[in-house]
Amino acid sequence: MTAGLMSAAVGLVPDKPDLARMRRDRTGRIRETMRAQGLDAVVLLGNTNVVYATGAIWPLSDASRTYFEQPVAVVLADDELPHLFSPNRADPRMQADLPDDHLHGPAHLDFDEGVEAFLPRLYEITGDKAAIAIDEWTHALRRADVLVGATGAPVDAGHIISRAKLIKTPDELACLRAGLRITEEGIREVQSRLAPGVRQTDLTAVFLRTIFDAGADANILDPIWQVMPDRIADGPWTTTGDLALPLLSTERELEAGDVLWLDLGISYEGVHSDFGRTWIVGREPSAVQREQFQRWRAVLDAALGVTRAGARNSDLTAAATQANGGKKPWLPHFYLGHGLGIDSAEMPFVGSDIGEEFDASYVLEAGMVLVLEPVIWDDGQCGYRSEEVVLITEDGWEPLTDYPYDPF
Amino acid sequence: MEATVTDVIPDDAELRAARRARVLAAMEAAGVDVLIAGREPNARYIAGVPRLWINGSRPFGPGCVIERATGSIHLVSTWDEGVPDDIPHENLHGITFNRANTLAWLSKIEGAATARSVATDGLMPSTLGLIRSAFPQAELADGERLMAAVRRLKLPAEIRAIRTSVRIAEHALAAAQAALGAGMTGRRLTAAFMEAMAEAGVTTPTTQDVAWITGRDRHWAQASRDAPVAVGDLVAFDAGLMADGYVGELGRTMSIGGLPPSARKLRQQWDELWDRLLEACRDGAPASGLLDAYDASGATAPPVPVARGLGLGNDLPFVTGALRRTAADQKLEAGMVVALTAYVWEQGVGGIYGQEPVVITEDGPELLSSAPYRRT
Repeated sequence: MTAGLMSAAVGLVPDKPDLARMRRDRTGRIRETMRAQGLDAVVLLGNTNVVYATGAIWPLSDASRTYFEQPVAVVLADDELPHLFSPNRADPRMQADLPDDHLHGPAHLDFDEGVEAFLPRLYEITGDKAAIAIDEWTHALRRADVLVGATGAPVDAGHIISRAKLIKTPDELACLRAGLRITEEGIREVQSRLAPGVRQTDLTAVFLRTIFDAGADANILDPIWQVMPDRIADGPWTTTGDLALPLLSTERELEAGDVLWLDLGISYEGVHSDFGRTWIVGREPSAVQREQFQRWRAVLDAALGVTRAGARNSDLTAAATQANGGKKPWLPHFYLGHGLGIDSAEMPFVGSDIGEEFDASYVLEAGMVLVLEPVIWDDGQCGYRSEEVVLITEDGWEPLTDYPYDPF
Repeated sequence: MEATVTDVIPDDAELRAARRARVLAAMEAAGVDVLIAGREPNARYIAGVPRLWINGSRPFGPGCVIERATGSIHLVSTWDEGVPDDIPHENLHGITFNRANTLAWLSKIEGAATARSVATDGLMPSTLGLIRSAFPQAELADGERLMAAVRRLKLPAEIRAIRTSVRIAEHALAAAQAALGAGMTGRRLTAAFMEAMAEAGVTTPTTQDVAWITGRDRHWAQASRDAPVAVGDLVAFDAGLMADGYVGELGRTMSIGGLPPSARKLRQQWDELWDRLLEACRDGAPASGLLDAYDASGATAPPVPVARGLGLGNDLPFVTGALRRTAADQKLEAGMVVALTAYVWEQGVGGIYGQEPVVITEDGPELLSSAPYRRT
């Protein structure tokens, strides 16, 4: 067995998150940017943005309830506490310890009547002369012709959250680590059941059961246990000519020798985890597979070797590419690495199709979280992929995961 | 249970064709040249392609585009697994993190340069700019309203799909109910539901708050997900999942060892409320009749919808006390499938929550559950 990355205790992350402090720190970050931009209020509709601003947790799940029943948050430049509009105000997780005068009934902004009811309540909070930005817009808001500037479109608040969430607060890191632990608990249970004849959906059943029992608030994507082909040409056609990933899990029964690539994530206190590994069903890795893993480690080590505050994305992509003999060791439709927090993939994107110019100019900062997910592929002999989550520090990085690479 | 599914396959060809014909007819009627769907239920309805389930809302972005003149469909998918032959490879566009790449394929679709009306089912502050760049001649239209109207009445094959989802939801709900015992928590009952759901081959829930102890001191209150269930607690179960894209949902309330004597009167009130709700579920009746049913029974409606449409997700009707006028303007019609919620609450006792999936037919409402909650 090869030990996971986390060999030393992490000193930067509190043992337990202080949720009140987490919200104070987060709204503080939002309000700082608002004041710099002369904004009096931001209105937030995006689920994860509302989570970020309010700390409210609700396991709203999918589109059947997502858009018509969307909670809405309002953050004011001159108020420490956010306002929350939600149908679930009797749920203690939804109240997020907000005082009664900051909790409001639902705002159904997909409906004209919902907008009509919401606006007077909004202006009561903000005053009707306020400079207001919004992260998402609806056709009903557009019809009402409100919250718009000279261009006919509203001032975008999305970038304010994007900027605020880049640097993690200590309590967000505590939530992330707790979420990663819960994820790993689920994975450990799944790995103990891995055998020929087991279906992909059975693995999902074990994973879901375990993460909820262990304290997860929600699963955040349909778990991936993808059986990899030996050759790219044996998989589905792709727009890139490269591998397809992630492909949906089915009731397919696993066979001895199947190479599985995993991709999973859960939510704990609104912070998302991410997990990726390569497993082999019912067999020990071959010499070729072990060598692929060693190359993957070398690529990961090379990228981590240059990871620190002040490094540019392009330092990481260059180091990883060099360690892979000059070939980019990641999937062209994704990236070498991505941020992680209230969204399962958020800035910074390292090596994405935003382009080399972006990567050469983007500077990593202490307090960012990065998921590195290099891919080793030998067409005809399959390959290896895992993910590692690290915290960027002034002089390097700290591991946030501790799961072994078994069976490698 | 369903036949075992080991391949990712597109939705049935006939169903796809029927759904697309409806979309194109609605676009024709509204004078919409191009419709851009970002919301997964709309994209699924148009393209018929299963894509990765992700929790929560997504910022609007073009996920699927249909053009009226040719009927051609463009889809964001890096691969062709699950994609039917009628969406050719050149109409598939890979995942991108670069707005310029989205703009590039969008502005190259058939008729982009001359389109007069482009509908989107969502908006971001930046969407106006994107539309102006990709479709220089076009006015922006409301594609969510268009799609919601199209998807409101279900095709027979859609009702069959919802039936299947309800059956699997019932199966997983039974597993969660069987796990109810002293010391269990809402979270662990949710775990039991999820496990049974996935073992039945479905891995996409529509709610992840499957069970909660109803509060005794406030209407619609719920206890912490980690509070242990005690004898006498009224525990609400809210089961929902999507099989082949279609949503099946139902809700029940249980107590350890059966409903306590203190809840008997409440249960009777629930039955009375349910009868009124079902009575209001008539072809042609205004949806606000469901809110009137609450008023007539003396029960306070919950802040969540008392009826929501079932289908691919985000379906009409959407009936909630916060939108009275919207409810009065919506008609219940044959071909609608609704999840109907009855909730009653009493100080010191708790709440009884029941939800039934119901098809509205010309002959009256038909319950989809094999074991309806209403006592007979």
